[in-house]
Amino acid sequence: MLEFIGPASGLLFTLENILWINIGVFIGSVFAAIPGLTVILCVILFLPFTYQMTAIPGMMFLLGIYCAGGYGGSVSAILINTPGTPHAAATMLDGHPLSKQGRTKAALKIALYASTFGGVFSALMLLFLGPQVARVAAQLGTAEYFMVCLFGLTIIAGVSGKSMIKGVISACIGLLLSCVGSDPMTGYDRLTFGVGRLYLGLDLAVCLIGLFALVEILSKAELKPDALHLDAKKMEDNGVITKEEYKRMARPVLLSSLIGSLVGIIPGTGASEASWFSYNTAKNMSKHPEEFGHGSVEGIAAAESANNAVTGATLIPLLTLGIPGDGTVAIMLSALMINGLNPGLSLFTTDGDIMYAIMLGLILVNLFMLLQGKFLTRLFAKVVSIPQEILTPIIVIFCFAGAYSVNKNYFDVKVALVFAVIAWVLRKLDMPAVPILLGMVLGNMTETNFRRALLISNGSPAIFFSSIYCIIFLVLIVVAVGTIVRGKLNERKAAQAAGKEP
Amino acid sequence: MKKRILSIGLALTMLAALLAGCGSKSATWKVTCPWAPSGVAAMVSQKAAAKSTEYSKDITLVAEAIKGDAATVNTWVMDTKANDTELVFVGEGLLSITSILDPAKLQFGYEDFVFVENLYSSVFVLSADAKLNIKSIADLEAYVQGGNEISVAVNGAVGSEAFLAAALFGSMGAGDKLKLTPYQSAAEAAQAVAKGETNFAVSHQSQILETFQQNGVTIVCAFDQDDIADGPFAGVEGVGKHGYPFFRNRCFIMARAGTDAAKVSALKELYGKILADKEVADWLQDTMLLEVDTMSQADVEAHVENVKNIVNEYKDIVAG
Repeated sequence: MLEFIGPASGLLFTLENILWINIGVFIGSVFAAIPGLTVILCVILFLPFTYQMTAIPGMMFLLGIYCAGGYGGSVSAILINTPGTPHAAATMLDGHPLSKQGRTKAALKIALYASTFGGVFSALMLLFLGPQVARVAAQLGTAEYFMVCLFGLTIIAGVSGKSMIKGVISACIGLLLSCVGSDPMTGYDRLTFGVGRLYLGLDLAVCLIGLFALVEILSKAELKPDALHLDAKKMEDNGVITKEEYKRMARPVLLSSLIGSLVGIIPGTGASEASWFSYNTAKNMSKHPEEFGHGSVEGIAAAESANNAVTGATLIPLLTLGIPGDGTVAIMLSALMINGLNPGLSLFTTDGDIMYAIMLGLILVNLFMLLQGKFLTRLFAKVVSIPQEILTPIIVIFCFAGAYSVNKNYFDVKVALVFAVIAWVLRKLDMPAVPILLGMVLGNMTETNFRRALLISNGSPAIFFSSIYCIIFLVLIVVAVGTIVRGKLNERKAAQAAGKEP
Repeated sequence: MKKRILSIGLALTMLAALLAGCGSKSATWKVTCPWAPSGVAAMVSQKAAAKSTEYSKDITLVAEAIKGDAATVNTWVMDTKANDTELVFVGEGLLSITSILDPAKLQFGYEDFVFVENLYSSVFVLSADAKLNIKSIADLEAYVQGGNEISVAVNGAVGSEAFLAAALFGSMGAGDKLKLTPYQSAAEAAQAVAKGETNFAVSHQSQILETFQQNGVTIVCAFDQDDIADGPFAGVEGVGKHGYPFFRNRCFIMARAGTDAAKVSALKELYGKILADKEVADWLQDTMLLEVDTMSQADVEAHVENVKNIVNEYKDIVAG
């Protein structure tokens, strides 16, 4: 490795590369901050630019978009309670409440610092442990993937709000919605009702707009004009994060960076799963779990460090095995292949300088994201000082434009509207929307891996206990369920002690 | 002051660029790829688009990938009319497979298009778990005759790869023993065999290359008439030589039916020049492990018919 670092640094530290990194970081931050405009869409849009470049500047530009997009999604989650990208949904749970407390700048800063830490952590992991870790990840099969998904579903309890029953019902709705489209195992259509546009299923980014953004607008429409007035407290936000808060963030950031990196290495999983896993773990391990969902700094830090830790980790299987870790990275693969580079371990021997330049570049991308983010945070934070009567129509326009842009058709705009109505009805019934999202994120993956595993084992469930990785995940599931049950029992005891039954 | 000067300068530059654009007779043709933006077809299309301005002053190709297969092509047909500067990719998956298995999904027919060119030709390969030590068709025949388990990882439940596997093992008389395991991407399917989840996988050559180089799999045969001549898989036997059915994976560039013959001819000429470009041909062969394979209308019809025949014969194995 060391013999490549010198030449790789020479290839990386050029004015052209620094420029493309910064352009990418800027585009990614702003693009992902707009609901509906996902990182993958941004990378697709700007990919053709890279075909005129050589491999390193092309990859630096795309990595800039990718990493900054991870952070950018948190901006709208914090400011307007709508995740800019699906993986920022967990950030929204605490980011927006903290913003409502008049600490928008602080929330944005926590998201930025945590994102940078997560990004640098995974970039270092890629640099030092890439090939070794990739070999282990490559051993994970269909049964292990199913266990990961099952573990993910235990998070529902953590995001269910007051009633676990209602949370489970919402999650079931999400799981059902994830079945819309072609059956992954047979190719036959399910729940499409003859609508051609539904063959591919419901797009998560479009559903998010309806579930979280448009429903907020509907709710605002119900408020009296007085309630829409600007909260003066928000204008006095100094953005200070206290020493105590830094201390509280340290453990979740470190742990979530590790979780994000591990999740990112597993191809097919992504930032959404990582941020939910981390959020849930941070909540379970926190001394102040009651603050989660009400503006917890630990919650924001955990979700954001995890979703950015995925960025470097997804490159591990790509660069070492030629397997893209997620959809966005799969598109980046073409930026390499168009330059005649077919990723894989053999490329470390033939073009080691380019490979190491890309890996070192990822650290640089995260550092520039921090620098630009510090400047952009001040700008983004001003959004809360825009009067509601001006901000609300702008959000609506962005929502419709975002929904349209996903597949460039009006059908998705209608889908977003339908989801807004569903979310509004659920809100009236006091049912949480986050488990729906979780069901949609994990549903397809859970089902596909469950059915495929049984197909591989000729119907024998023993496949789910067949490897050490399956056993590890099984133990984690048991621990998670045990923690949930214990937490609920404690809540009940506390409520009884207070003289009221929950 | 500086800001004002900069703003005026920028506005003037934009105006000049706009005026320059108005004077140009160049037509921009949008090329829609209805498959994954990270897939082989999308990458080749982007490469061709990047080259288009080198070979034509009148035509600029702009590549776009909107995943969606039949749904995307349905929309494309609905939204376009003759002479629109729009092109779309269609392959045997839609024309020969979906049209037989699930015709209701298609709101178009072959008659809605006019053929421009074939972008590439891909020879799929069958890889086997390295532990099985199957390196030739003779080894494979012995394995099948031995009554061993036959599980094949494929991309999608009813894609080209599934039918190639069904045709090969079906014609060996082992169709009833064949277990097709669908994965959600070609890369995933290629990896499944190395993990030992399946015994075999059908994939593009480029998708199995890294696993092959790491000795995770052996390459059994190629779905072509003759042996593979070049590249890392040179010498791998073609199934056609042994009398087994096969087809190549192709990617047809189509314009909307009714488009002027002169425009179609100009596009075909441009694609011909791009595909003849040495850099493009080398890239296709060395990196993507694909072949340049320009075709005529008659070739396309023959390909579609050949695949339809295979689908009709083996659809019971694939779709049950």
